[in-house]
Amino acid sequence: MPEQVADQENQVPPQPTAAVPAFNPEILQDMLPLYYRRLFPHQPFYRWLSYGLTEDGIFCNREISFTLMDDIYIRYLCFDSQAELEKELCSRNPVKIDIGPVMHTRPKMHRTIPGGLVPVQRELVFDIDMTDYDDVRTCCSGAEVCLKCWKFMVLAARILDVALREDFGFEHILWVFSGRRGIHCWVCDHQARHLDGRGRYSVAEYLNIVSYVSFGGSNSPRVPLGDRQHHSIKRALKIVEPMFEEVIIEDQNLFGTPKGVTKLLNMIHDEGARGEFESYLQKNLEDGAHSRQVWESFLKYSNSMRTTTANAWSRKLKNIVQEVQLGLLYPRLDINVTRGFNHLLKSPFCIHPSTGKVCVPFSVSAVGKFDPTTVPTITQLLHEINAFDDKNKSYMEAPEDKSRIKDHKKTSMFKGVVVFEEFLRKLERSLKVNGLQF
Amino acid sequence: MEFHLKKRPRHEVKVEVVSLETKYPSNVMLYHYPPTDDIHIEEFEELALERLRLLRILERASTKNLRMLSDEWKEYVGAELTREGLRSYLRLCSPAGGKHDSDIQTRRRDYISHFILRLAYCRSEELTRWFVAREMELFRYKFSALSSSEVKQFLDDNNFDIHPLTEAQKDEVKDGLYESTAGQSVAKIELLDFYKVPFTQVLDLVRGRRCYLKAGFAYVNTHDLVSIVGTRQQEEIEQGLVAANGLVEEVEGDERISRMLKALHNSYTGKDYTVCRDAAVPIESLDQLSKTSMPLCMRMCHEHIRAQHHVKHGGRMQYGLFLKGIGVTLEDSLRFWREEFTKKMDADKFARSYEYNIYHNYGKKGSMVNYTPYSCAKIIKDMAAPGDCHGCPYKSMDPSSLKSKLTSYGLSPSAIDEVMYFVSRGHYQIGCGKYFQLTHNSSVEPTINHPNNYFEESQILMGNRQKRTNGPAAPKARARPDIKGHGDRSMLMGQDDDELWRIAETQERILQSQKDISEAFNDDLDLTEIEY
Repeated sequence: MPEQVADQENQVPPQPTAAVPAFNPEILQDMLPLYYRRLFPHQPFYRWLSYGLTEDGIFCNREISFTLMDDIYIRYLCFDSQAELEKELCSRNPVKIDIGPVMHTRPKMHRTIPGGLVPVQRELVFDIDMTDYDDVRTCCSGAEVCLKCWKFMVLAARILDVALREDFGFEHILWVFSGRRGIHCWVCDHQARHLDGRGRYSVAEYLNIVSYVSFGGSNSPRVPLGDRQHHSIKRALKIVEPMFEEVIIEDQNLFGTPKGVTKLLNMIHDEGARGEFESYLQKNLEDGAHSRQVWESFLKYSNSMRTTTANAWSRKLKNIVQEVQLGLLYPRLDINVTRGFNHLLKSPFCIHPSTGKVCVPFSVSAVGKFDPTTVPTITQLLHEINAFDDKNKSYMEAPEDKSRIKDHKKTSMFKGVVVFEEFLRKLERSLKVNGLQF
Repeated sequence: MEFHLKKRPRHEVKVEVVSLETKYPSNVMLYHYPPTDDIHIEEFEELALERLRLLRILERASTKNLRMLSDEWKEYVGAELTREGLRSYLRLCSPAGGKHDSDIQTRRRDYISHFILRLAYCRSEELTRWFVAREMELFRYKFSALSSSEVKQFLDDNNFDIHPLTEAQKDEVKDGLYESTAGQSVAKIELLDFYKVPFTQVLDLVRGRRCYLKAGFAYVNTHDLVSIVGTRQQEEIEQGLVAANGLVEEVEGDERISRMLKALHNSYTGKDYTVCRDAAVPIESLDQLSKTSMPLCMRMCHEHIRAQHHVKHGGRMQYGLFLKGIGVTLEDSLRFWREEFTKKMDADKFARSYEYNIYHNYGKKGSMVNYTPYSCAKIIKDMAAPGDCHGCPYKSMDPSSLKSKLTSYGLSPSAIDEVMYFVSRGHYQIGCGKYFQLTHNSSVEPTINHPNNYFEESQILMGNRQKRTNGPAAPKARARPDIKGHGDRSMLMGQDDDELWRIAETQERILQSQKDISEAFNDDLDLTEIEY
């Protein structure tokens, strides 16, 4: 069992003894009040979005939007203080919270401001959605996710995180599980928050190397590599290469069907060469051969072709192996989310309305151990605090004092909060250092 | 920045004693200080038109898909400048040119005319985008002609406080430089000077992964210095335009000037497809129309929907707005999508997940903005992800699939070759025009800039629609919003820079094609009017 008890905080979360009931979306609305009252980390959440109040209006001009039950969507909310935000969350119990940009003034005044709201800062955000990988996963499709396909997210997070840190020098990067099958990334450095539209677009394009070519019904990824490869691409390759066989060949067995073979063929961007390799495969392999055989044939064939004479394989398709590896495993970004100053993005610690799972932050260095299938649901969390309270009887009796254990510490959501607080601690330290310099 | 249009008399004295050469010391100057000369109204107008012609040449070059500053590009621009009698500007942009008296006169014309056009192009975001894009092309062209000593001089004159890395500093990052400096051989990189700047100063290099990037700093070689300098120039122009916008009212006090300036920017209006003013198109006819009058991009969306009964967001936007533009009513639109989608989902889910978006596109929900159908420029640029069906098929389809698609649509092999000739060279819109011509048996090959324009031309040719009698520009005058509230075109969301200027560009191309077409049809038009 790949148990993730290795981390430091294994003493507190209780192992629920009684069976945890499955999440039932019908009663989400009834559970939310308790979640917001007892579990949602109001104080760290406020600490994040207030950034030590280092800039004017940084918290109170932030657009926040709530989605209430029955898809009632309320935009342009804003809050003056932690208390006000907490009060609103606990009274409205939103099914979903979205975070927008910090505006030049209170967003709730949007109707009366001549010229409209002007966004002044916003974290640089990335959204990676598993649906964009549907053509390269065979284990699940649509909304499902399992440990096998989660590896696509693991690679995406690692590649992006290192690029943001090494190339752009960003340090305050928060990774969040989106509650079902995707991940979000919030880059919170001062410079990232203040990038203009052009800057966001450029960073997104820098990190987005996959384009698609359509074959009628299906789109095939392309990553054209030239003679010399940019260091960011080389680095990505170093991360991708060792995982390629495990993920694509073994776990997914992607080329194990005629349809899968077509996927590989379609990535050969030279019609002649594609035909040659196709007939080679037909001659040498049976239909439905395992991916491993297809891939080995491909490596062998492309190598032999490359070394023989000057042909498409030695010119246009020189890097085809790396191009296929990156095409299948390089992060697939929804770049419109990154580009948009105005784009709202779901907040950490929301409850995903259809899975009931908490959008928990995770640490990118431990992303390989993160298991989306065991992320706690709201049902489980409530169950856990109840079990804890029953055992300790402290909740009902003890007065509201500081010594009381924070409720989220009694549950398996604890780890997500710890990651979040660690992120905050570093963020606040750097805000303090920079504050002294001014 | 201060921007004085009216000359202060006390400055004039000073101006007189400064020679032109001191005033305009270099072919390339940051347009920082507004000119303070007196000029005649005739010259004012002449300079404005001259620069407009200049910028339009640059625009045509980019429409032709020529790579900026490539040999073909230079050849084209050079020929056009000569043809339009703007050779003096060509001298300004060539390495040896620009030292004679006449060249110094050109520097002056260049400088002043830029500031005049600011007044015309500061009025809306779209105009601004267009103007900035063109001005930056001109700037890069001029800058590319400078010798290295001239570049040094330029940097000094304009207080660019940047210094090349020392050998030791360069040595520290040399592996990165070798790997990631685009366009230079390793041997060259050894010799080149490198500058270290925050990455935000060279976003164009970052976007294309053309330089080494480490810890937020970009390492830029001498040949790419233009990126750093260009960023400053662009900021300068953009701020200048904002400042100029504040002065528009004052300038408009002078009717002679205001009339001219307005005419200038009005000539840049294209056609608006946001609201269809023609007869409604019933959805029952869409299957037929998709075969006869829709461009490939839309026909493929249509077929996708009919076959899959679902289409992802990008396709819904592209096709949905197109349908609105050709005259499908909101009610019909709702019916069309509902009938298809509910083959796969229940009506309740459709209502919850998709109806809002359709209302929204028609400006009936949310921000209440009536969205504009996508132009070719946007569709070509949009990148489709796995599972999508939108985008420009000429660009996004693998050649073999495109060919078989065209075959299945009844094109002969020779016709397909004709289309593919342009497609393989990256001229997607020309390929699309070719397809139009071939499928309509038409002698004219229209310039396709907008799917709705394709549709309309097709309908006109087939005799189902009449050319609009009020001319292409007239309805636009109404639709163009004033500076503050671009209510009916906020598909251009504020942050979407590139999109904005691309749309501004497209607008003009549309106008151009409208003009060509209306000229081609003028005769027919008069007849139908007389006969009615």
